[in-house]
Amino acid sequence: MMTKLKRNVRLVFLLFCGLFLSLLGYLTYFQVYERQKLIESSYNRRLWEQEESITRGTIYDAKGKVLAQTVEEDGKKERVYSGGEAFGPVIGYSSRKLGRANLEQALNGELLGISQQDPLTVLRQKVLGVSRGNDVYLTIDSQLQNLAYKLFNKRPGALVALDPKTGAVLALVSSPGYDSASVEQKWDSLSQDENSPLLNRALQGLYPPGSTFKIVTLSAALESIADLEARTYNTPGYVEVNGRVIRDYESFRAGNYDIKKAFSLSSNSIFVKVGLEVGKAKLFEKAQDYGFNEGLPFELPVATSRFPQFSLMADDVELAESSIGQGRIVATPMQMALVASAVANGGTMVKPYIVEKIVTPLGEVKGNSGFTIWKEPIDRMTAEKIKEFMVDVVESGTGRSARIKGIRVAGKTGSAENPHGKSHAWFVGFAPAENPKIAVAVVVENAGSGGTYAAPIAAEVMRYYLYNR
Amino acid sequence: MDSREEAIYNRSLAAMALVGFLSFLLLSVYRKPLDFMPFYGALAFLGVVFIGYFFTGWVLISSDKFLLLLSSFLAQLGLIMLCRINPELFKKQVLFFAIGVAFFIVASLFVKYLLRLDIRPFFYWVVTALLLLLPLLFGVEKGGAKNWLAFDGFTFQPSELAKITFAFYLAGTLKEGRIESLPRMAGEILLVLGLLVLAKDLGGAMLFYFTALIVIFVATSRADFMALGGGLAAVFGVLGYYLFDHVKVRIEAWLNPWKDVPGRGYQIAQSLFAIAEGGYFGTGLGLGRPDFIPAVATDFIFSAFAEEFGFLGAAAVVLMYFLLVYRGIRIALRLKDDFDVLLAVGHTVMFGMQIFTIIGGVIKLIPVTGITLPFMSYGGSSMVMSFASMGVLNGLWLKALEDENDDEA
Repeated sequence: MMTKLKRNVRLVFLLFCGLFLSLLGYLTYFQVYERQKLIESSYNRRLWEQEESITRGTIYDAKGKVLAQTVEEDGKKERVYSGGEAFGPVIGYSSRKLGRANLEQALNGELLGISQQDPLTVLRQKVLGVSRGNDVYLTIDSQLQNLAYKLFNKRPGALVALDPKTGAVLALVSSPGYDSASVEQKWDSLSQDENSPLLNRALQGLYPPGSTFKIVTLSAALESIADLEARTYNTPGYVEVNGRVIRDYESFRAGNYDIKKAFSLSSNSIFVKVGLEVGKAKLFEKAQDYGFNEGLPFELPVATSRFPQFSLMADDVELAESSIGQGRIVATPMQMALVASAVANGGTMVKPYIVEKIVTPLGEVKGNSGFTIWKEPIDRMTAEKIKEFMVDVVESGTGRSARIKGIRVAGKTGSAENPHGKSHAWFVGFAPAENPKIAVAVVVENAGSGGTYAAPIAAEVMRYYLYNR
Repeated sequence: MDSREEAIYNRSLAAMALVGFLSFLLLSVYRKPLDFMPFYGALAFLGVVFIGYFFTGWVLISSDKFLLLLSSFLAQLGLIMLCRINPELFKKQVLFFAIGVAFFIVASLFVKYLLRLDIRPFFYWVVTALLLLLPLLFGVEKGGAKNWLAFDGFTFQPSELAKITFAFYLAGTLKEGRIESLPRMAGEILLVLGLLVLAKDLGGAMLFYFTALIVIFVATSRADFMALGGGLAAVFGVLGYYLFDHVKVRIEAWLNPWKDVPGRGYQIAQSLFAIAEGGYFGTGLGLGRPDFIPAVATDFIFSAFAEEFGFLGAAAVVLMYFLLVYRGIRIALRLKDDFDVLLAVGHTVMFGMQIFTIIGGVIKLIPVTGITLPFMSYGGSSMVMSFASMGVLNGLWLKALEDENDDEA
């Protein structure tokens, strides 16, 4: 009896060894596999708490003007926005009620100073009980931004202005905008407004690029058709592809044109012919070289511009439409600004960026270390040739209203047909042509021709920037 | 106790005193304005530990001092957390600790000298049943379970004492190594469980059930009873799931707490967030958020501890509890009398199962049941009776040594 009893006691001990080992085992498993997920869980009140205790960093424009800051009054923290309507779609908001949007969302980790922290900093912050997030300096000049926004006069549309050499975003306008300061009060009307002011059109708006896409078609043609510039095209003012008639603009007269004039006067019929000769494979490849069908790297999310897969292109009609930026092809204003900046920059497309630098409360600066090349869609010679063509557009073609006194401007207009009414007015371009400092893309929704409605806005923005820089 | 053991014991005591001084000093300084309350509390605590140490050394020579040392260390860690969570509870808990140490000594003496009397197991069963019946008749409800007695301002949880008498009952009925009448014993145990279920103390019922099962196995070596009991437990579990809504809630919260974090999964989710926040090294004492955890001073104190002392601290606590279980088994193996062996096993199993159930519950290894973590959770009954339970083990240890001496003589 006794020996059996003792054996059983030992068995009980083994049972407890197992039970306690399972406790330790599970705790270890938890630390290794479950922990991170729980720390980041939105149900975790520690996260909210941390946000409450941190004074959110300030957002400045390129010249040090405050756009958003957190002020503390009677122990209550309040986010104050001073950018006005032009900045709403860029800065966004950070609100208990509405959550976060745009830069306030994208830079949340930096503004709270909780991204990439070492444990010692965390401990110090907890012990001291107070902390401040990082300050963010943008590349945007708020004077330019406000001017550009006013030029839209509430008409739906968007503008992107870049420094073509560095990729720094100089203005990022989406019209109509909203004032971040009053977004909580006006939420219902803003979210139901049919002009969707909460949408950042410059980054999320997908429009048919219309004739501005002829820059891409021209790039492909210059590279694949050796005698392109020596040719003369005769056109009756329209072209028929598989029974589908594509017409030139009303102002375009039938006759003989070389490729430069065809580009300058934006002949649809000639560019359809050129596109058909280039072929869908090469045109598709060139569009991809320019960044179509690929996620655009930027601090804020950008919708992907689409060029239809050539294998899915039903017939020549689709290729014909694509050559002139119509059909199923869509692009964001940001994408078209990059197309212009690639031409401006000798064929090199740099990554756009909007954060100039981030300054920690201890004064450490996390800078944007120069530019990064994103794509090299064309070589320098082709870029120079296209630039010459684009200068001709502004000097004697459809883009004459983009002329600036004393400065040579390069550009391309577009009037994109769409099912929602009048054409979207497009203009992309840069200046000064010989040493480009600013590249822009403008779209005004359902306004009419690009030369009339978009080009003047681009010209005014470029003029202001170049004269007041 | 030989000199090597003595040296280890003294070093452990010094380590414990050091941990206590540092932690309470930190708590004094960290609270603003400067408050010496935690420090005085710590002094009172250490005073009790040393008095207990000298007293056991004087009255109960050759005690198993590690029982008192480990349980005091755990109590100290619990006090540190309580002091940080709620200073009022802390003050009371220091008092409970002192009473607990006194009960440790009393229980040791009781087992060593009075257990020679032949008390019939039926008597222990009646006491157990009465202890569990009283709160049902006159009790108050606290935290969902009606297992409290209140005498003007002073509350007592009879089920804590019942754990001890139940272990005595089991050892008594099974000391012959067989079950005299299965229907009778089954009836007696089921009645005890029934009373616990009526009080909605499901954690307690589970604890009593598994303890009975394991002690029966140790006494009878009948694996078929073990299997049958296990099967019955599963049946009870399934029945409970469908019959009692609060069992269903607990089990669903265990299976997937993330389905309804603000509701059913709230407790366990907050506990897991705390443990996650702690990581390997913990946030540091005073830097966690125990206020986010429900029932943090009682059932969930382990989660708060794990947050501030980290995985390493939590693992150390688990190991210390394991050492206590080990001491209990060691004592059982040294004893000569069957009743004594079963009594030691009963107390050890009850204690060990309780640790496993509550720690396993708060880390989501098993469903949460509302029982306390001995020595660490706030509560007089739990603290005092846990010490009394250790006292019983110590008394048995003294008895074992005495019997060995008699044999030699």
